[in-house]
Amino acid sequence: MSASSLDFVRPPLLQATDTPEDRGLARDEVRLLVTERRRTEHRLFRDLPQLLRPGDLLVVNESATLPASLPARGPAGEFRLNLSTRYGPRIWLAEPRWSVGRPGPVPLTPSDRIEAGGVPLHPILAFPGIDRLWFFRADGDLTLAMRRSGSPIRYGYLARPHELGDYQTIFARVPGSSEMPSAGRPFTARTVRDLEARGIRTARLWLHAGVSSLEQEPGGAGTPPVYPEPFEVPSETALAIRRTRCEGGRIVAVGTTVIRALETAMRDGVVQPVRGFTSRVLGPERPFRAVDGLLTGLHDPRTSHLSLLFGFGGEGRVRASYREAIERGYLWHEFGDSHLLWAAA
Amino acid sequence: MTARAHRPLAVVTGASRGLGEVIARVLAGEGFDLVLTARDGPALDAVRDRLRTWDSDVEALPGDVTDPGLRSRVAASVRRRSGLDLLVNNAATLGPTPLLPLLALRPEELEQIYRVNLVGPIALVRELRAPLAVRHGLVVNLSSDAAVGGYPTWGGYGASKAALDLASLTLAHELAADGIAVTSVDPGEMRTPGAERAFSAEEFAQRPPPDSTVPFWIWLLGQPHDAVTGRRFLAQAEHWGVRA
Repeated sequence: MSASSLDFVRPPLLQATDTPEDRGLARDEVRLLVTERRRTEHRLFRDLPQLLRPGDLLVVNESATLPASLPARGPAGEFRLNLSTRYGPRIWLAEPRWSVGRPGPVPLTPSDRIEAGGVPLHPILAFPGIDRLWFFRADGDLTLAMRRSGSPIRYGYLARPHELGDYQTIFARVPGSSEMPSAGRPFTARTVRDLEARGIRTARLWLHAGVSSLEQEPGGAGTPPVYPEPFEVPSETALAIRRTRCEGGRIVAVGTTVIRALETAMRDGVVQPVRGFTSRVLGPERPFRAVDGLLTGLHDPRTSHLSLLFGFGGEGRVRASYREAIERGYLWHEFGDSHLLWAAA
Repeated sequence: MTARAHRPLAVVTGASRGLGEVIARVLAGEGFDLVLTARDGPALDAVRDRLRTWDSDVEALPGDVTDPGLRSRVAASVRRRSGLDLLVNNAATLGPTPLLPLLALRPEELEQIYRVNLVGPIALVRELRAPLAVRHGLVVNLSSDAAVGGYPTWGGYGASKAALDLASLTLAHELAADGIAVTSVDPGEMRTPGAERAFSAEEFAQRPPPDSTVPFWIWLLGQPHDAVTGRRFLAQAEHWGVRA
């Protein structure tokens, strides 16, 4: 989709600059925008169990967030290195940037020797077509370096740094996301208990989300390029989806990461167990077939996520709900409010 | 430094330009020492000099993969080191261009395509089997969508790549006991010097540059060999996967 067709005006104040806890709310007390087939409803996230039916299946991302932002220095001076995606034991795709609020590109050449979190790194090559992202080879253990001196990646709209725990969801089990799979953040032990009590099942997969800076700070026209992310759909989850479908239940993806993994895993109309990297782009150009509902955050204009929402829920319905969300002062971004979107009929 | 303790070694054929050069660049960046071959000696020397930016040891051996002499020189160079981690059979020929219908190719021309695209790669694996076994190495044979497409005028090249695909799968089974993995990669459409001879200027300009396959090569190098052996990958697909 072109950037202009993904435009709307989101007032600058409507972004969460802190966590709901900082605003005096429990995680599950954020608001929940519900886009039904013909109308929009306004609820709290903890009402979710009442909005689903017994026999429905929630699919969640169990990827845990890494303290992926490292202090770094090289011939260009001091900068931050935000690790995005692990390609191998010593190989990472990463984004060098000047600071939280100031993106790169930081000038780099393959002969440079840089150091991040105490580990020497060799730049390999830029990601094709995205000069802000580079592949690096580490002469040391970056997992240790993150534990020692890493912090969660954040962008300029947040008022202050937060602890890593603020960036973990209740489902977090497999470390690997450079940024929090935030759709799962409002879930609490209470919500999970209420869901179980109502007969709503949960299945897990993981997709490690990379840096979103190209979405946060678009560099040019059109939606930002989408790059590959590692994921796994386990066989139990593929089976649970098949069974839910047979029994007439609905599949609800918790997050755009989950819908991306499930659509990639579809073969002959069925979700198959698979592990790999996906660069599948989701939008209005191709039908969605894996899920009936999407639980997600509120997405900014001119992002690939918004294109996904338009494709999944229909542009008219999403725009109508977003107009109400703006009127009622919903909050955008990873610590903001939530949105349950049912697929276009 | 620990990284110096063992430097992996790779052989790349057809490394003087296009995809071969891109693969060599990725490998040098990942810390591999390299033995490179290509028919065009001066171009190969230029690639070697450019790759010295990374502190890799790069040896350039000019020659043709159909020449047993070149294959022996490669094997001799590899023997001087402690085993071979990776062999990339990238050198290939389209045969006469503009491309011709299968029956318009003279039998000698067809044989020459097979010598370069099929016999050369298999013979090189044969020469390098022992050093590959030492390192439980990986063989990557470059394929093409022409191997499955049946496109008119691509029959000679396509049949040689289809045969190479089957050789890759067979070798994956036959060399498993040696701990050697074999995989086949269709790199997808690219703007390479090889392709320039087969397409109109307009078609050629629309093809992505060969460095669009860089993320795939880096992904492949990070995979455990038992997850990729006997597989055929599409480097520009929206999904690179193995069964969970």
